[in-house]
Amino acid sequence: MLNLIKKEIALCLHPTAFIFLAFAALVFVPNYPYEVIFFFSCLSVFFCCMMTRENGDIAFSCALPVKKEHIPLAKILVTIGLQCIILLLVGIIGAVKGAILPAEQYVNQAGISANLVLVGNGAILLGIFNLIFFPCYFKTPDKIGAPFVIGAVVIFLLISVFIALRWVTPLYSTTLNGLNSENTGAKLVALVIGIAVYAILSTVSCNLSMENFQRIDV
Amino acid sequence: MNALEVKELKKVYPEFTLDKVSFCVQQRHISGLIGRNGAGKSTTIKGILRLINAEGRVSAFGKDFLKEEMAVKQMIGYVGGSFRYYPMNTLVAIRKAYAPFYPTWNQSKYEKFLSQFELIESKKVKELSEGMKVKFALALALSHGAKLLIMDEPTSGLDPLSREEFCDIILQLVREEGVSVLFSTHITSDLMRIADDIVYISQGKILAACPLKELLDQYKLAHFSSLADATAANAIGVKSVKEGYEGLLPHDTQRLNGVTFADATIDNIIVHLEKANEEKRYAESD
Repeated sequence: MLNLIKKEIALCLHPTAFIFLAFAALVFVPNYPYEVIFFFSCLSVFFCCMMTRENGDIAFSCALPVKKEHIPLAKILVTIGLQCIILLLVGIIGAVKGAILPAEQYVNQAGISANLVLVGNGAILLGIFNLIFFPCYFKTPDKIGAPFVIGAVVIFLLISVFIALRWVTPLYSTTLNGLNSENTGAKLVALVIGIAVYAILSTVSCNLSMENFQRIDV
Repeated sequence: MNALEVKELKKVYPEFTLDKVSFCVQQRHISGLIGRNGAGKSTTIKGILRLINAEGRVSAFGKDFLKEEMAVKQMIGYVGGSFRYYPMNTLVAIRKAYAPFYPTWNQSKYEKFLSQFELIESKKVKELSEGMKVKFALALALSHGAKLLIMDEPTSGLDPLSREEFCDIILQLVREEGVSVLFSTHITSDLMRIADDIVYISQGKILAACPLKELLDQYKLAHFSSLADATAANAIGVKSVKEGYEGLLPHDTQRLNGVTFADATIDNIIVHLEKANEEKRYAESD
């Protein structure tokens, strides 16, 4: 498995997988729907899968002395690694923003502030994307467009829901909004819920992807 | 013990069925898998390597593929045509990702192949000619101590000189390294030069799996001046040629008036057997 992961990183990662990690810095843009940052992470998955197809990587990997079901698992684990990095970066850069900017500039007029709740929301978004994209992709690895479009549409709908919640519900507009130092307990709960949802959805995605991939002819 | 045993390999597609294909590859033998386009050569190879979900049993050197997949794959070197993977990556990057999968990887042997094949590791795959790509695939496959080489049309796309060179390399590998080889092709001149055995597949069914010489000794090519003569002689797969008609006759056929005989080549055998099969299918459909 470790060899497969190393091969993924060496031969299958599109440069955007690293470039889009830098988009975590978008939390410094004032009044911006920060959840969009996580869409770029999904976009990099799409580019990596394109690269996988153009490189004939699936056929190459299947001829290696590895179990067939480990091929999707390695790809998803690499993606999960990158998603964890972007979640971490958004959390850290958001905290830095909170520490160096005045409180009034920290408030986001376009959505939730760059706090722990944003990280939790991002984890939910990425988990849902994993659940939609990977099982569909590993059914027919040559067809990347349809799973991505479905995943992207759902992601943007959810982003809209998160933005709406920010304005409609007091929980999101006051309790969970603003600096991490305010209502820290509630924000931590939101973060833990987000991470738990992400872990569950990603695990289900892995299992479904491995099942689907077993059935395909390379 | 055979290098490869394939028993009743079956795969059903809506338009095509690989129908209980069975054959063996003996140790230190070169077996050619032949048949026209769409006959099932690549499907057979994919079925052997479990790249497709096929029914049937495959074993290599006595080890069952399904039960001991990892061990069997360690013994097999697969060359799928030319090296079509990772065109933008350098050979060194691919080797670094590939070698750790094989505990038996022999770096000095790999470097020996690189120098023998005049491959430069800093080059990208897309910068290699078709012949060089095949050589790179061979270098990878052989440097982990593969005892069985399975190749899917490795010579298609190669010029005659490169094909000659490829055949020389394969012969050398069998003689010096003791590897066994199964390779599919429709370039029969390569088979005449290096193959010990032939596996002939048509419409997903094995029509012959025997030593090459045995297949060649089964038939001779007969030239007839008229269709009536050919029909009277019960010639197989009669077809019109520039002057008269040609068909196959069993090798022990006695001399016939007005019929000239020649040794049948693999091409002749394939062409006329396919023609006979086509006529049989046409007659059955009527």
